[in-house]
Amino acid sequence: MANFLQAEVVSKHFGGVAALRGARFTLRPGEVHALIGENGAGKSTLAKILAGAVRPDHAAITLNDRPVTIATPLDAQRLGIGIIYQELDLFPHLTVGENMAIANLRLAEGHLVRPRRLAAFCRPYLDQVGLTCSLRQMAGSLPIGQLQLLAIARALSMDARILIMDEPTSSLSDDAVDRLFSLIRELRTRGVSTVYVSHKMDELFRICDRATVLRDGETVQTVEIATTSPAEIVRLMVGRDLQISERPEHRESGEVLLRVERLSTAKLKSVSFELRRGEVLGVAGLVGAGRSELGAALFGLDPIRGGTIHRDGRPILPRSPHQAMRHGIGLTPEDRRGEGLMMSMSVLENGTMTVLRRMQSWGFLRHVREREALASIAGRLRLNCPSVAAEVATLSGGNQQKVLLARWLLLDPEVLFLDDPTRGIDVGAKQDIYRIIDSLAAGGKGVILVSSELPELLRCSDRILVLRDGSVTAVLDGREATQEKIMAAATHSPASGDAA
Amino acid sequence: MMEVLRRFQSFAALLGIVVLAILVSPSASDGSRIFLQAGNLTDILRQISLIGIISLAMTFVILTGGIDLSVGSILALSTTLVAMGLTRAWQSAAYGSHILWAIVAAVAACTLAGALNGVVIASLRIQPFVVTLASMIGVRGLAKWLSKNENIDIGFGHDVAARFASIFREKALVIGSYACAAAVFWVLLGRTVFGRHVRAIGDNEKAAVYAGLPIVRTRVWVYALSGLLSGFAGVLYAAENHQGNPNAGMAYELDAIAAVVIGGTRLSGGKGSISGTIVGTLIMGVLTNLLRLNNVDSNVEMMIKAVIIVLAVAVQHAGSGNS
Repeated sequence: MANFLQAEVVSKHFGGVAALRGARFTLRPGEVHALIGENGAGKSTLAKILAGAVRPDHAAITLNDRPVTIATPLDAQRLGIGIIYQELDLFPHLTVGENMAIANLRLAEGHLVRPRRLAAFCRPYLDQVGLTCSLRQMAGSLPIGQLQLLAIARALSMDARILIMDEPTSSLSDDAVDRLFSLIRELRTRGVSTVYVSHKMDELFRICDRATVLRDGETVQTVEIATTSPAEIVRLMVGRDLQISERPEHRESGEVLLRVERLSTAKLKSVSFELRRGEVLGVAGLVGAGRSELGAALFGLDPIRGGTIHRDGRPILPRSPHQAMRHGIGLTPEDRRGEGLMMSMSVLENGTMTVLRRMQSWGFLRHVREREALASIAGRLRLNCPSVAAEVATLSGGNQQKVLLARWLLLDPEVLFLDDPTRGIDVGAKQDIYRIIDSLAAGGKGVILVSSELPELLRCSDRILVLRDGSVTAVLDGREATQEKIMAAATHSPASGDAA
Repeated sequence: MMEVLRRFQSFAALLGIVVLAILVSPSASDGSRIFLQAGNLTDILRQISLIGIISLAMTFVILTGGIDLSVGSILALSTTLVAMGLTRAWQSAAYGSHILWAIVAAVAACTLAGALNGVVIASLRIQPFVVTLASMIGVRGLAKWLSKNENIDIGFGHDVAARFASIFREKALVIGSYACAAAVFWVLLGRTVFGRHVRAIGDNEKAAVYAGLPIVRTRVWVYALSGLLSGFAGVLYAAENHQGNPNAGMAYELDAIAAVVIGGTRLSGGKGSISGTIVGTLIMGVLTNLLRLNNVDSNVEMMIKAVIIVLAVAVQHAGSGNS
């Protein structure tokens, strides 16, 4: 079958970091085509380039064998390409009808849209996706599943022949996923192609015809789903021999640093576990399973609704990060740019942020003391920056993460919660962070490590706590755990998880 | 590197305006340029001192990502309170302590008003623009109500109020106050934990939460300092004009914000400097002087200033390469 959309040698750098280097992608009419890869493989970037939301450094894109330029979302709309973002780009304070009409090239610009005409225009598309709400309802009042249908209806109303969906099921309930999938199948029969960006293997095999595997910004291979297996795709995704160094010898863990019993918050349901000195406790689970919320509860960010936390045997109830820090608990957030670093401040200022009080004498900050403090751990972290006065925004992702870690290593808390510390950073920096985690444990600290990458959890953890929908579904020994056991516990009920 | 460039830019702009002022300066009868006369140069400094003092604290407020629209009204409250204190209260006190008490009371009240701004902003999480807009109206009302809508005159005689005025309108004292305040705030921003927290909160408030920084306390202090400096500027204003004037300081907030912005401080917070603000204040002061020496119509003066403000920020944008 002829290629419908074809993208060759797509490259994109963000700052100094390559998100895509020469990726290739082809799409046939009326197929559901998955873009799959690990975090940071470049799948979302490629999707956004096709939708005109991100400008590539270089790309040769053809549609029906004619070269096209997609510089803006409006260009994409003209070419019949629509995108449904993970964090739906709808306007919550506009009505359903207004959301459909806004920026819609098929509605004449500069004219007032009369309600009746708007209804006549919108209704067929809303019916098509099975959305029955009133056109005058505020988009923000719709549940997330219906919002997604609205976004799809909007894309269809823009005459989209190609629909790009970026992790569409990440916040959907099971029956909403079923409805979405039957809609995608129905659209396929009408010749609408879907580019399905995901990292969920089971969905891939339920809905997709072909899959293109990306790794480190390059296209590895495009495979027919009918003739492949999940194991094969995982092999393609991971590809390179995982440069994961051997896990350290079994560590002797000491007394209990942290004991959590039946902890409940808005998201967590009765979570219990212990963390001992010298132990790395891995936390696994799908996105939305409550991994980050566990950190938020321990770090005083989310109000605790039930249960107890004991630190060194004494009950604590942290109500703010400041209080949690006083109890010797530290946390590096998942979103390092949004929640971790002050991007326009220097490496030095970011690194010493939590220990400023120690850096002063007679009420004045001593820059020399700050430099000495940072220098004392920069070597340990293998922090690589042109100067400690450089803005952190100019550093690579890996070095930014190291600056964030430096902040906590300087404070030296007994318990450190690392929320996906290696997300989107290069292999070398990952190794450095693993070494730091090892050395923290060897130094008698307790580390809680959240990660989406199972090999990483298996490499670093003494025990692995698996969460699903806010509950603990398994606690696995680090040496006996396998990716399959973890995934089973993360996706199924505990009983069937044991069977698998 | 960027930082150096940007600072160099605003200094270059200041230098350019000074050179222009020298070139177009009218000559005195002895042939010297009026702009360069010591009296004129110190007049410029004296004229910018009030806005200069207010804009120091405004820099802190803007660095946290906030804004303080109430500074002009707080200045008016201060002029009113200090004049009332001098003419109506503490009649039995000795000269020195009477003057001291009047100043302390006025400045303390203004600091409190600023702190109140901060408490509402930080604990109720209402936008600083809205809160300080409300107190801009409310504090002005308070000043007018206290003074019953009248100016409270500080005479020229030999009483305590006149003594106060003659001391605090002294050029050296006004300029000296500005210099001291600038030095203190420069150190506060660059060399203290408080200053670091101010910038960190403005750069990324969420990250400041995750780093356990005292966000509420820092915010309250920043607005309290803004009240304090506005109050002190009000004391100088009352001395200079020999009266407590509840209508004083109209639109001062805008001049102060303009000086901060011309000085390269980012309105969204996190980035900026006291030295930049001082340069920004000087640019505005020299420009005003330049235009007035050449008898430019004051309405034209406003139009030219508008262009300068936009130009200054546009140049900084181009130089820094980011928003």
